Amino acid sequence: MLNLPRWQTIAVIVFTALGALFALPNILPAAVLDHLPGWYQQSRINLGLDLRGGAHFQLEADLRTVLNERLTNLSDSVRAEMRKQQVGLKDVTVEASRAVIVTLRDEAQRAKALEAIRAVDPSLAVSGSGDTIRLAYSDQELFNRKKEVIEQSIEILRRRVDETGTIEPTIVRQGDDRILLQVPGIKDTTDLKRKINQTAKLTFHLVNEDVAQSGANIPTSLPPTTSLVPTREGMQELRRANPKAWEEIQAANPRLSPEQICRRYQPQCLPVLKRVVVGGEDLDDAKATFEQQQGGRPIISFTFNTAGGRAFCNATRQNVGKRLAIQLDNEIISAPVVQSAICGGSGIITGTFTTQQTQEQALLLRSGALPATLSIIEERTVGADLGADAIQSGTTAALIGTALVILLMLVVYGPVFGGFASIAMLVNMLLVFAGMSILGASLTLPGIAGLVLTVGMSVDSNVLIYERVREEKANGRSAFSALATGYERALTAIIDSNLTALIAGVLLFGFGSGPIRGFATSLTLGLLTHLFTATIFTRMLLATWVRVRRPTELPI
Amino acid sequence: MLWRPHHLIRARTSFDFMGKRRVALIASTVINVLSLVGVLVFGLNFGIDFEGGIAVQVRAKQGTVQLDQLRATVGALDVGEVSLQEFGDASTALIRVQRQEGSAQCVANADRVLKRRAGGNWAVKPGAAGTGDVEFTAPSALDSVGWRDAVSRVGLTVQERQLPRGSVNTAKVEMTPDQRAEWCQQVAIKLVEDAIGDKYELRGTESVGPKIGDELMRSGIIAIVATLAAIAIYVWFRFEWQFGVGALVALLHDVISTVGLFVVLQLDFSLTALAALMTIAGYSINDTVVIFDRVRENMRRYKKMGLVELLNFSINETLARTLMTSGTMFVAVLALVLFGGPVLYSFSIAMLWGVIVGTYSSVWIAGATLVYLNLRPEQLNRDDEKAEKARA
Repeated sequence: MLNLPRWQTIAVIVFTALGALFALPNILPAAVLDHLPGWYQQSRINLGLDLRGGAHFQLEADLRTVLNERLTNLSDSVRAEMRKQQVGLKDVTVEASRAVIVTLRDEAQRAKALEAIRAVDPSLAVSGSGDTIRLAYSDQELFNRKKEVIEQSIEILRRRVDETGTIEPTIVRQGDDRILLQVPGIKDTTDLKRKINQTAKLTFHLVNEDVAQSGANIPTSLPPTTSLVPTREGMQELRRANPKAWEEIQAANPRLSPEQICRRYQPQCLPVLKRVVVGGEDLDDAKATFEQQQGGRPIISFTFNTAGGRAFCNATRQNVGKRLAIQLDNEIISAPVVQSAICGGSGIITGTFTTQQTQEQALLLRSGALPATLSIIEERTVGADLGADAIQSGTTAALIGTALVILLMLVVYGPVFGGFASIAMLVNMLLVFAGMSILGASLTLPGIAGLVLTVGMSVDSNVLIYERVREEKANGRSAFSALATGYERALTAIIDSNLTALIAGVLLFGFGSGPIRGFATSLTLGLLTHLFTATIFTRMLLATWVRVRRPTELPI
Repeated sequence: MLWRPHHLIRARTSFDFMGKRRVALIASTVINVLSLVGVLVFGLNFGIDFEGGIAVQVRAKQGTVQLDQLRATVGALDVGEVSLQEFGDASTALIRVQRQEGSAQCVANADRVLKRRAGGNWAVKPGAAGTGDVEFTAPSALDSVGWRDAVSRVGLTVQERQLPRGSVNTAKVEMTPDQRAEWCQQVAIKLVEDAIGDKYELRGTESVGPKIGDELMRSGIIAIVATLAAIAIYVWFRFEWQFGVGALVALLHDVISTVGLFVVLQLDFSLTALAALMTIAGYSINDTVVIFDRVRENMRRYKKMGLVELLNFSINETLARTLMTSGTMFVAVLALVLFGGPVLYSFSIAMLWGVIVGTYSSVWIAGATLVYLNLRPEQLNRDDEKAEKARA
């Protein structure tokens, strides 16, 4: 009656063992972990920022301004295209963050005007009648653009905040226009905020072809207008061939100028004119796409804003056939040859690129400027020693709470029943840790509080069973019949009472962020796993105990 | 055997719980009404999570915190209302600054910060009225990189395009009034940081802008209402509608009186406090369901017993478990109150109260509601018969 079917006993043992296995990486020393497979190493609980120390920012992107800029650009393009197609315009205005309104001089030219608009951007939603045409981005288009802006901002933030690739920030999109930025273990947020502002400097320079044609990679003398800048490929080659030199360059303080790097380490370099043709802040967008004709080679397309477009137009017109170097910080990421004058604000870079290369280049081009202003709307910083204090007090409370609960159970239900319930509760804790490890969840201070509550709640189901057993015994049932009936009858109350608590836990998870979510995670997991430990697990312990000890009476 | 089990309650009790239902009901109504009145009259002591604002935790490098002195220093910063309290121990203090508006005062504050951090020749002035624009003036012409560093000094994060390109010594940064209000939070943080001086070290900073505060308040209210509703609906489906209403009344009682506790003790009502309310709701229903479960069982078994008698009988039968489940929870939460540290204090106190009041409401309020809703055993039996017929 009390005995579990064999398969259930095996399932219990396997389940508990798996729990132990997945909780184990949390306490294994790093030396041992390194020899184990990667998926297993990752089965660990991360400490939340409030325990570990670090900074949490919520940033809001100003999408309205971005949209207005886009609309202004659109109105410029439309105006230019109409002029080309010889459509007479009375007026082109931007309706703030909604649409562009085109007013024609002659209603009869409407069809021609619509054609011109299609040539500019075929995806536009066109409405209006007579001499006015209203142009707006479709909802889908707006949604995509917003997503693009946020994703681009995230890429740029990652580059700025994590230059060295070692601090592992969490940067994710939140809602429509928010970005969550979490940086563990930093002390000084002033520095972090400055980094958010720190633009990678993207500039376009003409290559000094006279010097370049002399043949030497590093010419001994240069005209004063020209300086040497290493290419990105050259630097990567240097890093491969001479890692020590590369490290020296990174560690140099003050930082070496591009020309110093060229002269000292002799990577592949290009002589470029110091004058900036156009800066990255004027670059609106850069995308990896494919050529329309000629077999669809991977290319990079880019768009400037009005000011940038004008400067770019002038420079390219005067320098057809020369190379235009694109410099990001201290490296030239590419130096395409100017094929023809590029006017109208947008152009393409062709070459023998792979798709991956075009994507990388586009990403580098975009990393110049943030596409939207980011305001800090929430900031939470926890110093490392504050986190250490929190761990200290949280652990103390958890240990003492657990000890008190075990003591109470032992006093009220005796060493056998109280002991089994306590063992089940400890196993439950193990399972919660395993679950959190598998999920890669973060343990926060409220999360520790959730664990303490789980300790209190997970023995509750045993209390329900044991009290029922006592009742059945008092009603005159034999010892073992009382035990079996107790387990059966208490089950509905256990499930009902825990499901309601689960409802609260799940809603809390949905509502909460950060630390509160940590609380909801540990509480909900604890409630779920304790349904197993408090019922099947203790039942197995008791059945084994009865089989081995063959007691004549129940010590409850 | 080392020791024998100890029964919390030796023999079956027969307290007349329902006989005291009127007293309980009056007492609870009074407590709840007072709680609501307290919220309206004194208000909740909202933390920065809901109200927006800044909280800075500082620790004295030596000795204890001179609260009066610190209060005077921070109070003179022109950042609005400031409150200070000891936090955890005598060497630690929590400084709270009210949420900042994007006022002219804030721009003047930014001016002070910039002058202190960069030099007396720098200046920040508000731009055109009706906008959130600000104008920076530098002692010499700066390029875009220089400007970026300059605005960083006053905690302003901007897009590159908002800054001047060429070398100029003034920069106008365009902002909406809302954006300026968010930035003003950063300005206030800088002011407080500067004012704290060398005697104190900064342990942690929290800043919640106006926007987030409003959002959290709204979603918090939705979350708590959704929790109560979901639990009541669940009980309604598992039992009868009277039980659902009984559970809901008991839950409201627990939640409202806990809010009352926050008013009386002037505890910080933050996100964790809200988590406590939701957990109390989820937990206090446990005991209620255990009692309801027994009531339902007994209604089927003793079809002739009157409701009041039946409730008393069921509550007495389950009394030992009710006390014991609350007891385990009580000792666990007590450990949190005593050792959990200052951050969890509000949460733990609320939970401790919730465990007590939840047990009380399960016994009296939930049961009494069933009496007043006139639950009749036949209703339950009718359903059973229907179910049996369906099965046959």
